[in-house]
Amino acid sequence: MGLKTVEIFLGPQHPGAPGNVAFKLTLDGERVVDAEVVPGYLHRGFEKLMEYRWWEVNVVMAPRFCVEDPDNFELAYVLAVENLYGIEVPEKAKYVRTIIAEMSRIQSHLFWLLFMGAAVGARYIPSWAMAAREEILKWYDYITGHRIYHHYLVPGGIRWNIPRDFRERTLKVLKFVNKIVDDIKKALYENKIFIARTRGIGILKPQDAIRLSATGPVLRGSGVRYDVRKVDPYEAYDEVEFNIPVGEYGDTYDRCLVRLKEIYESMNIIRQLLDKVEKLIDDKHYRYKIPLVAPPGEGIGRVESARGEYIVHITSTGGQTPYRIRLRTPSMPHLTTVIKHIVKNEEVTIADFPIIVKSLDPCAPDLDR
Amino acid sequence: MVLGAIILGLKYLFTRPYTRLVPEKERPFKTETTRGKHVLYMDKCTGCTMCQRVCPADAIQMVRVEGDWKRNKKKIFPRIDLHRCTFCAMCVEVCPTGALAMTDITGWELTTEDKEKTIYMPYELSEPEPPYRITVSKNEWLPPPPFYSKKKLIEKTSNK
Repeated sequence: MGLKTVEIFLGPQHPGAPGNVAFKLTLDGERVVDAEVVPGYLHRGFEKLMEYRWWEVNVVMAPRFCVEDPDNFELAYVLAVENLYGIEVPEKAKYVRTIIAEMSRIQSHLFWLLFMGAAVGARYIPSWAMAAREEILKWYDYITGHRIYHHYLVPGGIRWNIPRDFRERTLKVLKFVNKIVDDIKKALYENKIFIARTRGIGILKPQDAIRLSATGPVLRGSGVRYDVRKVDPYEAYDEVEFNIPVGEYGDTYDRCLVRLKEIYESMNIIRQLLDKVEKLIDDKHYRYKIPLVAPPGEGIGRVESARGEYIVHITSTGGQTPYRIRLRTPSMPHLTTVIKHIVKNEEVTIADFPIIVKSLDPCAPDLDR
Repeated sequence: MVLGAIILGLKYLFTRPYTRLVPEKERPFKTETTRGKHVLYMDKCTGCTMCQRVCPADAIQMVRVEGDWKRNKKKIFPRIDLHRCTFCAMCVEVCPTGALAMTDITGWELTTEDKEKTIYMPYELSEPEPPYRITVSKNEWLPPPPFYSKKKLIEKTSNK
């Protein structure tokens, strides 16, 4: 460390910052020697707000923790309530929910590609990724009635039946997305400028990743084969076959590659489930109505969201509303401990810092909630 | 390869733009199920206040409307603040008589320069501006009813 270090704020209004989050960086020349996250710009107090609404109505709140990956967050809440009530959902609802959640993962990774492309200066990637995401949003609008926050999954099933051309529409969307993702793979991942800027930067070793409670693509990028969908299968994940892509070196490029491979895996899962849904297309049995008053007790919902493991823990004292809701969101450890570990253990310059932060795919709303 | 990326990028230069010109050329994007502004069938409403109680955004209040309402002895009807509304359709779902439904009037069609005008009173809610279609209704979630003309709607909502 040199004689004099400088402290600067990066964000919340900085193109290098991931949304409404600021970093307090300690710089020694051009090198970042310490990074401290400054959260709180997007705090809306959702955990408290949810204590005043009915069990079913909280579905409206649940997706709002994360703009980019709403359905996995909705699903975790719904699973927690079902755990509390002790109900099983109809088979059709199970398949449709899994498709909705996987589509949300694809959409989230495409949204991340926008930021990653912008961070490395590949300005054509954002517009391609957004075109693919737009097609998914239109699909969501047709299936659920809304583009971003869908309020489609409810405790006990899905809110309304799927349209008859569900399969054709979904396959059409997947074909379009597949074409664009193939192009992005060629244009970005095989581009030597992108490789030079990401290979060997921001290395996170497997034992460190586990110790710092990293989850999701960050953990898998370090080479740890851990996925809640395999370890603790929920919904219809035990009925489909898919691989868990893992990285080799744990650097920024590996984390990016894991996310790209996950898009293909998600499309694979959806294609498998579409055949099962097609057989149940005439089935009117897609939802159970839950009673207004919940039994006293606890419930837990655990999903693999696009960013990592997401857990909802609810406590009920036997009323119309939850007594307490606690959320374990994936972005918090990534932005606090992981980023601090990376800048302390290698020479990160200020030009590389936004790329490393983007490769962790943090989400400001779920950090603050 | 850098050259490969440039060639791929050139290919995209000749594709049709993905963006749409709103509001000059087109209406907001909507599908057959898009949830938007509410319709209130005043002859069906019983003033039970369930929509007010369920609303997660606290956008619904009950107001008194004078008139000869057969089913609504208390003469109270919901007024909806579309500035707060999240269009979750919980009120439509919870309404025991099917007095509320949702249309596909959405996006910039709901914008206004006057903040006071975001609150829609019961009479305004019962006569939405055509053209629109009912997308979410009580008998829902099954096939939604066909288009309603304004004239037919006035006949349905008996504002005597």
